[in-house]
Formats: sequence, C-alpha cells, structure tokens
Amino acid sequence: MASHTKSVILAQHRANDDLNTPLLPQVARADSDLEADGMRAPLDERIIAAASAALEDGQTHYVDVPGIGPLRDAVAEYLNGAVGAHYRAGNVVITAGLQEARFLSIQMIGEQYDSIALPAVVHPGVRKALGVRSRNPKTMPADPAQGYLAPLDAIAQAAADGCRLFYLESPSRLSGAAYAADEVAAISQIVADKDAAVIWDQGLAPWVEGAYASLAALDSDCARTAAIGEAYSGMGLASWFVGYIAAPEAWVPAMQSQKQIMAICTSTASQYAALEADQLYTEARARQLSRLGGLRADLLSAAGQAGLSVVGGETVNVIALRLSEDNANKLRRAGIDFAAGRLFGAPDVIRLNVNRSTAAALSALS
Amino acid sequence: MSKKKKTGTSLLYQLIGEARGYDDVIIMGRGDPDFDTPPHIVAAAKEAMIHHHNDYTPPQGLLPLRQAIAERVKRVNNIDVDPDTEVVVTNGGQEALFLMVLAVTSPDDEMIVPEPNYNTYADSLAFAGGVKIEVQTYAETDFRADPQDVRAAITDKTRSLLLVSPNNPAASVIAPADMREMLDIAIEQDLMILADDIYDLFVYDDFQHVSPASLPGGKERTLTLNALSKAYSMTGWRLGWIVGPADLMARVTELKAAVSGGASVISQHAGIAALTGPQDAVDMMAEAYRRRRRMVLDALDEMGMQYGMPQGGQFVFADIGFTGLDSAEVAQRMLTEQHVLAYPGSAFSKDRKDYLRMTFLQPEDQLLEGLERMKVAMDNIMAEKK
Ligand SMILES: Cc1ncc(COP(=O)(O)O)c(C=O)c1O
Repeated sequence: MASHTKSVILAQHRANDDLNTPLLPQVARADSDLEADGMRAPLDERIIAAASAALEDGQTHYVDVPGIGPLRDAVAEYLNGAVGAHYRAGNVVITAGLQEARFLSIQMIGEQYDSIALPAVVHPGVRKALGVRSRNPKTMPADPAQGYLAPLDAIAQAAADGCRLFYLESPSRLSGAAYAADEVAAISQIVADKDAAVIWDQGLAPWVEGAYASLAALDSDCARTAAIGEAYSGMGLASWFVGYIAAPEAWVPAMQSQKQIMAICTSTASQYAALEADQLYTEARARQLSRLGGLRADLLSAAGQAGLSVVGGETVNVIALRLSEDNANKLRRAGIDFAAGRLFGAPDVIRLNVNRSTAAALSALS
Repeated sequence: MSKKKKTGTSLLYQLIGEARGYDDVIIMGRGDPDFDTPPHIVAAAKEAMIHHHNDYTPPQGLLPLRQAIAERVKRVNNIDVDPDTEVVVTNGGQEALFLMVLAVTSPDDEMIVPEPNYNTYADSLAFAGGVKIEVQTYAETDFRADPQDVRAAITDKTRSLLLVSPNNPAASVIAPADMREMLDIAIEQDLMILADDIYDLFVYDDFQHVSPASLPGGKERTLTLNALSKAYSMTGWRLGWIVGPADLMARVTELKAAVSGGASVISQHAGIAALTGPQDAVDMMAEAYRRRRRMVLDALDEMGMQYGMPQGGQFVFADIGFTGLDSAEVAQRMLTEQHVLAYPGSAFSKDRKDYLRMTFLQPEDQLLEGLERMKVAMDNIMAEKK
C-alpha cells in the first residue's frame, strides 16, 4: 500500500526549489571538465607523510568539535597574515569543506537575524543551504558591470530596508570579481552604522592577482564578520573537504554546538593534512598564482581575438564569459563541461576553470 | 563556588573539559572505542592519498563504497538496496542521523522517540522544528520499548518513529517480535521509520538484532543509518551512511549536498578497505567488548547497583537512585574526587537523573581501575548520607 505520509514528504521536498538547486563538482571529473569549484592540484609528499603519520600515531578518534587546536591556530594566523584579519584560534571553526561552512554560518548566524540579504548572483550552495531551513532571504541586485557583485547602493538599500545580515562573496564565485579596498571600507561603514553582520565568503581570495581587500581586516575587534572559505585551496585537498569559519567569538558556540549535532568533528586525516599544507602554503600558492596568472593572461588575449565577451574578474583560477544559452549548449555538446551561470542566477554567463584544457574550450567557442 | 547549572550536551562538555585537566583520568564517558583503527585501513588511506587525492566524489559518495555498503547491509542486516540510488555516504553516523531527521520532518511534525535515547535526535529534531513525543522505557524491563506504548502515543501529527537498536544509552535491543509489531504499527498508522543500526554488531547473549527495513513492508518506509565509527574504531574518520528506498534517498542526497557537499575521498577509500577487507579486527574488538561488559556487570553487582541488562551496544545504564543525588552531581563527584568520568543520565533526558551511563571502551586494566574508583566514590557518597 502506498504511503500517504511519504507522498506528502516527497511533495514538500519536490516543491523546495532552493533545496533542489544543483551543485557543482568539488573537483574536475576529467581533464576537459572546467566546471568544478575546486582545483585539481598535486599533493605534496610532505602532506601525505604528515597525514599518514597522524593516522599511524592513532589520530583515528573523535577530536574537538571546532577542530584540532593547532589547525585552528594555523588558520587564524594564516588569515591574519594573508588578508589582515584579527582572529585567534577561538574564532575559528574547522568545517568538513566549504559547503558545511556555508550551511553552518547561514543557518546559525542566520538564527540571530530576521532575514539574510544575498546578491541575486551567488554560488548555488547558498540557496541550497537555505533550502534546508529558510532564513528569510532577501535578494539584492547584482551588477553585471561589476562582475555580478552586489553594488554598494544595493547593500545600503537592503540595510535601509531593515536587513541586518548579509551574505557576500568577494571574489565572486562566478566571475572572480572582488570588491576594491574603498568599496570594502564603504561596506564596513554601512554594516557598522546599522549594527549589522556579514558572512563573507573569501574562499577565492588566494587567487586574486594583486591586492585583495577583506572585510575581516576592517573588523578590528572581530564583532561583525564571519569569514568563510576552503582551507589551503590549491594544495590538492579539494576532495578532502576542509573549510573554515572565522567568526566573532560570540557566534562560535552556536555554530560549534550545531557542528556537534550534525558531524561531531571534521575528519582527522583532512585536518592533519591541512595543518601540513599550512606550512607549505606561502610558497606553493605563489607558484600556482603565477602559473595560473600566465595561463589566464594568454586565455584573455585569445578570448579578445575571438571576440568573446569576458566578464571582468580578478582571480586567476576562473574566467567568466557572456554567452548565449545556445552557444553554451554547443560547447557542452563539444564535450566541454563548464559552470552554468544559470545556477548562480546569471543565465547568460558561463564560468570556465583556468587550466591547460581551457584554451581548447575557447577555440571551440571561436 | 557557584557553577551555572548545565544540562544536556553542555553538561557533558563541562565534564569532558574538567576531565582533560587530570593526567590520570579514566574515561568511561564518551562513546569512542579505545582501539585505534586497524592498520590495513590506515594503509588503504595512505594509498588513497597517493593515487586518489584529486578524485571527484558525488555528494552521495563513491560508487565502490556504496557497493560495499550495499553488500554489507545485505550480509549483516538483510536489507536489499541498489548502490546506485539507495545509498548515501555521510560524515559519520551523526550526519546520517541529522539528514534522516531532516528528510522526514517538517515544522510541527511529531516523531516518536523511545526514551532514554541518544540526545542528538532531540537536537536534530529541534533544528527541523519537529516535536519529540517520548515513550518511556524502564530499567526494570531492561528498557524495552513497548509497541503498545508507541501506538498510544501516535496523534494525527505523528510522521515518524525512531528505533535505535541496540540503544544508546539504554543498551536495549528491540526483540524480533517487537520489531515486527513496531513495523505493523508504522504501516497501519502510515509512519516513516528511522532506524539507527550503529551498534548492530554488538549484541550479547541470546539477543538478536533485526533491521526493520529487512522485514516485509519495511524498506519502503524506513531510512536506516550505520557508520564505521564504532565497529571499526573509526570515529575520527567521519564515515557513515543511510540506506533506504530510492524516492526518499533522492531527497537525502539533496540534503547531504546542501549540508556538506560530500565526504572526504580519503575516508571513503578507508571505508572501502574496512568493509571489503579482513574482518578479524572487528571480531577481536567485539569479543573484547563482550568480556569487558561482563567485568562491568560483575563490578556493578558487587556494588549492589541496579541496571537494565545491556543486551547490546557499548554502554551500561545504571541506576544510582539509591544515592539520593542527581546523577549530574554523582558524575561530578566521581570526576573531581576519583578522576573517573561517566556520563550523567540527566544529559540524556530530564527524567533520567537517577542514572549513569558507563562505557566499556577502555583497556581492561583501566576499566577495572575505573570501576574500583567508582566504588570508592559511591562508598564516600553513601558514608556521608549516613
Ligand atoms: C545511537 C548513535 N547514533 C549515531 C551516533 C553517531 O556516531 P558517529 O557520527 O561517530 O558515526 C552515535 C554516537 O555515539 C550513537 O550513539
């Protein structure tokens, strides 16, 4: 006999568009796959050695919910050094990847506020996390001319309309566009004036060529900004799922207790690998940055020659193009996978990862 | 010194925090096996770091792992599932639990929960906006959940029934006839079943574990969780799963993607090795728990303590009502005075102030020492009482 209760449950789930938002793969499935959020990268032998030594030493048990102490320390210090933040270990929660960081921050910081303002163009994982339990999202327009970031006046308007919690990406997960220092200062002002708070996804910051401005740097007493991101991206750990939330201390207990409820802790192998990656990051990232920067420069000039319309962005790991759905479909048929802007809220854009296969995608387009 | 009175999980945290301060502490609290993960599983993880660290994993997990899980639940639990559509890999049993609760609960929906029970169910239910309907169980009847009590608790808002067998903390195992009756009630009243099988390999004496999804009519309305944490001593790897009917599992997959995106490929490869490799370490550990359970029961008998017979699992839930003290206070005194940590029943339920939960997840010499210290603490408490 068919279950009515089950039909009701399934119907509710099916009607939940946010929850059913498709996500992007965390790493490429094949060389021609330019769709993934994370980068494929070689894994340094020292990371393998450190992670396996930890396991062999018996680090196979539960560990502290917000992360192992040394890694929380390392992440705080890394953020302070890399983006000028003001965090201590007690501000940091290690998560099982970026999506868990999104989920925990949106849900648990969101509990303290009536609504959450999001740019109309944002990573699909944000809507997906909201689909589990709505936090009353309000949409701010995103400006195509600014790489689909929410413009300052949109943020100010949302604040004027009473919204006190913002979710902002800088760099944008679609285009790689990041807010400039003066814009970040203006956002910080709006937020302070309205006694508001921000979840600031800065996961792509390591891939910005040139200066990067983090809202966390302006939050000198760590009171309003929760920075989130993947930990040590570009180190071959994308499939190990390690992320972070660095947040005002007052917000940590709720996230920590929810993390206990939904995961207990993050995998020890991933945490010890990340701890070793921390040691190697400065050098490894610089190498990646310059390699990808070179590749992207070539791609940009090829795109220019082919008459393709590039969406402005600052990160070396992605290139976003304005493209009709028709042409996008042709690209897909040519066997090239890309991230569809539609999933982010920008149907006429595609995002390609920058790697050795990207040139082939561009020539297919031209 | 006046300490703010803590309850539930925060009470446990306070005790765990204090326990860390004692070099000679004996932990009989947390459900974390003392054995390290068997070496062949660690070796497989290392191999995966070399060969698979960049591999893509879909949110529901790597197919070879899902296949190994499908084989395991068939072999151990007699549940038939299609690895393509009916298995989702999770970050431990804990995430599985959270996702199962989310999958069947909308705000104001009721879930029937035999008490005492693992407190994360109440926490997850609260997150989902659901309502817990408690059905009490008692030490005198070895914490048997009576199907008739379940039936009596059902209202028109009840959507699901939670069956954790063997149970944490009560260590009861739902007998096959009771399980059949629970399922009949669920079918008759059209409820979903959440089955937590995480302790299914730890069943003692002549007791028998049955998965409701293995019974006729069970699978289509049951989500079943399990994890490698307890049986393979893999608590730090965060690897578990949910199996269930394809239609509900499609929803579970979306929830998994929304909550955390996927599970570490390294842990997943370790999981494949655990499930498909030699099982002698599992048998050895299960045998050790069997021996230690006897040691604990003998010590409690000697202390004249009452308990529900632990039919399965890794705990004993003992009655300390004779002390006249709240279990939070007894646990606190045992820790501060004797440096031995057991969990107070009040952390599991407000109605269980008279109980202590003890694990037998420590080496035998420590376990004996812990029990000895517990006896001293109890003697002290009783001497003061006189
Ligand atoms: C009944 C029960 N279910 C689920 C879990 C979660 O276990 P883990 O997330 O470590 O796999 C536990 C842990 O103690 C438990 O006792």
